[in-house]
Amino acid sequence: MGIKLYREPKFERPIMVVGWPGIGNIGLIAVHTLRGVLVAEEFGEIEPWDFFYPRKVSIKAGLLKDLEFPSNKFYFQRIKNQDLIFFIGEEQPAEGGRMYATGGKAYQMANLVLDVGLKFGCQRVYTSGACVSRIHHEMKPRVVSVASSEKLTEEVKKHENTILMSEMEGGEGEGIITGLNGLLLAVARKRGLESICLMGEIPDWLSGAPFPYPKASKSVLEVFANILQIRIDFSFLDNMAAQIERIIESIYEKFPRDIRERYDQRKFVVQAKPGAITEEDEKWIKEHIDELFKKGGKENGEKPV
Amino acid sequence: MEKSLFEIYQSPKLQSPSLIVGWQTPDIGKLGLRVINFLNEKLEGREVGEIRPSGFFPLAGAAFRDDLIQFPESKFWACEKNDLLLFKSDEPRYDRYKFLNIVLDLAKYNCKVEELYTISGTPSLTAHTTPRRILAVFNQSEFQEKLQGFGLENMTWEGPPAISSFLLWVAKRRGIPGVSLWPEVPFYLAAKEDPQAIKLTLSFLDKKFNLGMDLRGLDLEIRNLNEKIAQLRNGNAEINKYINQLESGLSLNEEDQVKLAKEVYELLQKRC
Repeated sequence: MGIKLYREPKFERPIMVVGWPGIGNIGLIAVHTLRGVLVAEEFGEIEPWDFFYPRKVSIKAGLLKDLEFPSNKFYFQRIKNQDLIFFIGEEQPAEGGRMYATGGKAYQMANLVLDVGLKFGCQRVYTSGACVSRIHHEMKPRVVSVASSEKLTEEVKKHENTILMSEMEGGEGEGIITGLNGLLLAVARKRGLESICLMGEIPDWLSGAPFPYPKASKSVLEVFANILQIRIDFSFLDNMAAQIERIIESIYEKFPRDIRERYDQRKFVVQAKPGAITEEDEKWIKEHIDELFKKGGKENGEKPV
Repeated sequence: MEKSLFEIYQSPKLQSPSLIVGWQTPDIGKLGLRVINFLNEKLEGREVGEIRPSGFFPLAGAAFRDDLIQFPESKFWACEKNDLLLFKSDEPRYDRYKFLNIVLDLAKYNCKVEELYTISGTPSLTAHTTPRRILAVFNQSEFQEKLQGFGLENMTWEGPPAISSFLLWVAKRRGIPGVSLWPEVPFYLAAKEDPQAIKLTLSFLDKKFNLGMDLRGLDLEIRNLNEKIAQLRNGNAEINKYINQLESGLSLNEEDQVKLAKEVYELLQKRC
């Protein structure tokens, strides 16, 4: 079980930005896009075989050529006076068909990522993910954050369109950030690093959707751009968001009118509690959600991305 | 190696054996199970060790199949006269890389294994009356050359790997020459047994290791199976048509494949 570094770049107090798949792939897409925009260069990986079953074998003329595993790669870039280390994991090391990492493997993976950060003098780590909330899908998702210290929460809430988790409508001040996008923050704190999670809002009824939610990824990316004081061309994410929006609209149109009317009240205020949408409405959406996704896809010629 | 993960009952007297691995679940045409059991019986295999299931298999309850309680097993037998080490196991569900390394650690360091053979059936869109082939995948070209002349056919494929391919890859990384044998099993026999594929595999091993095994008992099984399916064909025109198509080298659509597989499964499930 190990880390493989192809080279050892010289870093000066780098910050680390980490992404794994999660709800709507909000964090992963944001981190992946940022890495692409900054043309960060690959410099290492975590060997995958202890964490993952291979997903592909290549056999030619009776010879085993190779096995392909989900990748877990490190990248680096320097912008202005800020050094950056990226880590992007294509899968969370989950067992028994779960989507999110749990237990010993997750803890090992989190520590290996941080081993690399600490080796190069990293003091701060960012992860990103989704915050399931009662917003309307036409609203701009906010970025909800938690951090490892009060000083950091003060810092992070200065960014536009950002709120703290405790400021969320109906927030009870405690909860869990599932999987490695959460666990890494805790392990980082334990090992003396500053850690911040930036979570893009996703409407509750879309949290199980089989497609990404790039609109929230864009919100997260805007915060990263602000933190790093860089300009980013969002056209790629805008195009992707527009495609997804069409799928979502086609599903939304199939809601019964009374549920749609109540749901539309979310446009004016984010609901802290069920409020405008009744518990019966929620039950109806949950019971019909799979069917609605199928219909939405078929009738509009769209496929899950 | 963590000693709590395995147990060696007794040190086998082996010189430079080959390791033959069969997976009993999943097991297309019961090939892995039957081949290892047959070798064990004929070559007087002696149980020498096991890998413990904890950490590799879900132990939250007990599975059952055909009214019988199942428990995951991963055991080694030594056939000392023939210098062979046999390993029969259920496919691990967790920590598979670690499990496969333990298999090779025990084989290499406790039993001095030099070569690896894995046995797994592969479903094929062919009729049961057609001669079977053994498709092969090697992890070293030198080993591939060494086994030329044994009637193995080279496989070419890309897709999700089976546990045998994962083991072969781990062996390659450790410099252990290996081959995965993939005897063809007509798809409609995949859920039951294919004595013809079993016999073909055993014939290969018999020839490769000069085992001098009597395989005639399998001919009776082959004849019985063929007769049962012949009776089904006589009484069921649709099934006869499907098998005729396969015998003519034509394929079947998915619906017809399911019908054929279901009929044959039910036929072979009946108690005599």
